Amino acid sequence: MKILTIARSNLSRFLRDRANIFFVFILPLGIVLLIGAQFGGETSRRLGVSMSDGDPVANAILDNLESGDRIRAIRFDTEAALLLAVERNTVSAGVAIPENASAQIADGENISVGFVSRPDGFGPQMRAIVDQAVATATSEAAAARFATDRGADPTAAAATAARLNGGTDTITIESSTTGDSLFEGVTGRFDVGASSQLVLFMFLTGLAGSAAIIQSRQLGVTRRMMSTPTSPATIVAGEALGRFMVVLVQGLYIVAATALLFGVSWGDPLGAASIILAFSAVGAGAALLFGTLFKNDQQAGSVGVIAGLGLAAIGGSMLPIELFSDTMRQIAKFTPHAWANEAFAELFRRNGTITDIGPQLGVLAIFAIVLLALATWRMRKVITAQ
Amino acid sequence: MTDRPVLEATDLDKRFGDLHAVRGVSFHIDPGETYGLLGPNGAGKTTTIAMVGGLLERDGGQVLIEGEPMTVRTLDPRRKIGLVPQDLAIYPDLTARENLTFFARLYEISGQQLKDRVAKVLEVIGLTDRADDRAGEFSGGMKRRLNIGIGLLHQPRLLILDEPTVGVDPQSRNAILESVEALSSDGIAVLYTTHYMEEAERLATRVGIIDQGEIKAEGTRRQLVQMVGERDRISITANGPLESAVTDLRGMSGVEEAGASDGQITLLVRDASELLAKALETVTNTGASVSSVAVEEPDLEAAFLHLTGKALRD
Repeated sequence: MKILTIARSNLSRFLRDRANIFFVFILPLGIVLLIGAQFGGETSRRLGVSMSDGDPVANAILDNLESGDRIRAIRFDTEAALLLAVERNTVSAGVAIPENASAQIADGENISVGFVSRPDGFGPQMRAIVDQAVATATSEAAAARFATDRGADPTAAAATAARLNGGTDTITIESSTTGDSLFEGVTGRFDVGASSQLVLFMFLTGLAGSAAIIQSRQLGVTRRMMSTPTSPATIVAGEALGRFMVVLVQGLYIVAATALLFGVSWGDPLGAASIILAFSAVGAGAALLFGTLFKNDQQAGSVGVIAGLGLAAIGGSMLPIELFSDTMRQIAKFTPHAWANEAFAELFRRNGTITDIGPQLGVLAIFAIVLLALATWRMRKVITAQ
Repeated sequence: MTDRPVLEATDLDKRFGDLHAVRGVSFHIDPGETYGLLGPNGAGKTTTIAMVGGLLERDGGQVLIEGEPMTVRTLDPRRKIGLVPQDLAIYPDLTARENLTFFARLYEISGQQLKDRVAKVLEVIGLTDRADDRAGEFSGGMKRRLNIGIGLLHQPRLLILDEPTVGVDPQSRNAILESVEALSSDGIAVLYTTHYMEEAERLATRVGIIDQGEIKAEGTRRQLVQMVGERDRISITANGPLESAVTDLRGMSGVEEAGASDGQITLLVRDASELLAKALETVTNTGASVSSVAVEEPDLEAAFLHLTGKALRD
């Protein structure tokens, strides 16, 4: 009962701080939205096109490019302007169609359609779309010319080519990849960002909460609690539960909000809940430990932010752990973040269940137990020595 | 009410490294009694009450609360104590009512009793109208009153007040002192530490003068003053045969010195309250007419100076 009283007061005080409302409830969603946008924020990619007006082949290429929902063509007057736009990344790639392309094809000349993209980004995917659009647009003219070259009437050849172009089987290019996909099973563009930011912010909030523990000591309230018939163990448990509740509330909020707003799929609900519970305990333990290691909340706040962001980076909450070197992957295993991220990956990328994430949950539980044990020992020492 | 003291502190001893902060301090407080622990800053007052309140492990001695031993590990005796620390110990971001409710629950008060006690304490400390305002918005005096109110929630047998008026405006200070007087009359034993001599004189039934971790002397104000040889001064302004009156007054038991000049008789006596009526009668019997009387009793400041060799606020 007293444990709940202390924990409830912790939660109540936390939620009254407007800064906390921003950092705990608003900022994480903003970051998830931002990362989601980076992973595929636009439903169509911007492709720059330089071409001359009125050329049938150029128009056909343009029509083909815009026929699907994957490309949004942006017209440029000159090839130089197109190149500049690609360099500045205002378009993902560019296609330069030579002037009088139709006439050149009709004259039996080969035309060269330029394609330019940045070395990073979505160039390769767009190249395939462009190839297909150019081939479709030029095949009809090429076929008519082929027939004309062999003595057919040009008008009849053009009519026949146009008729057959719609009825013949198209060539389908099948692509395949080798090796594991970095984000195999990720169905939504917000999924990766949501889980990694959930882990990052839950831990960060836990560490930020250590300030409240220090303030409680500085205010003399902890000592005053000791003057009531309340044991140090109860006070420590109450403070720990308070931090646990704060972190848990944030975790559940991010899960619910991202699922509702961004359609994030968190996989097996029982598994996701277990990870959040275990990681909340880790966050509470870290908060309590920090709350006993520093004399004032400014120190704890500064070090907490550095530690929170540092561990998140090492643990794969900023950059996917799949992109790490082998050495860094091994180092990441020393952070609770890595285990939580891995557990979430198992759930929503590989449709795992709570059974599948047993090892990760076990490690998180060990992290929580060690942190809480250390923090309890320190806290008892601190509050009884005041 | 039993005859057993509410608090018995015996030979309390505490060291912090080389600093011997409290040395063999002993005192007791009876029900309804206000005991003033008077001493300058750093005298050992706060360390003493921390040991009495079970917040600080002591190196020696014993504390009994109504006969129950109090240590840093015992919880039961804490139900009988209300500790009001010198520094404010409240949550500024909670309202007055929430602060009181929080601590009431830690004192194991619940249900309707909790609501009743919180309402009662808010009334006692004069914060009923501001009950739902955050404590951080209160004036210094209101915060102090809330700080004290928390110590009253569970109707303790012993209220420990550690310099409760430090930094408080005169109006709030007076309100606090009146509250303590009222508590004492309700039968609550009060341990009141202060370095304000006038507070100790006003509130304390008995006073322990503490300096450098030791109780230098203990007793009622009068006992302490007499212990160091201080005397009351009676000044009688009168017309008539004053020299004759002085001669008669010198013959009275309890009068140590008597003299007259400029129409005023001055007497140094052991106890002015006992001798005043008889002295006036003696003066008027000589045919003199008394126009005014003034009595000056030596204060604890003088006793403190005598006992410790320094002024109280040094």
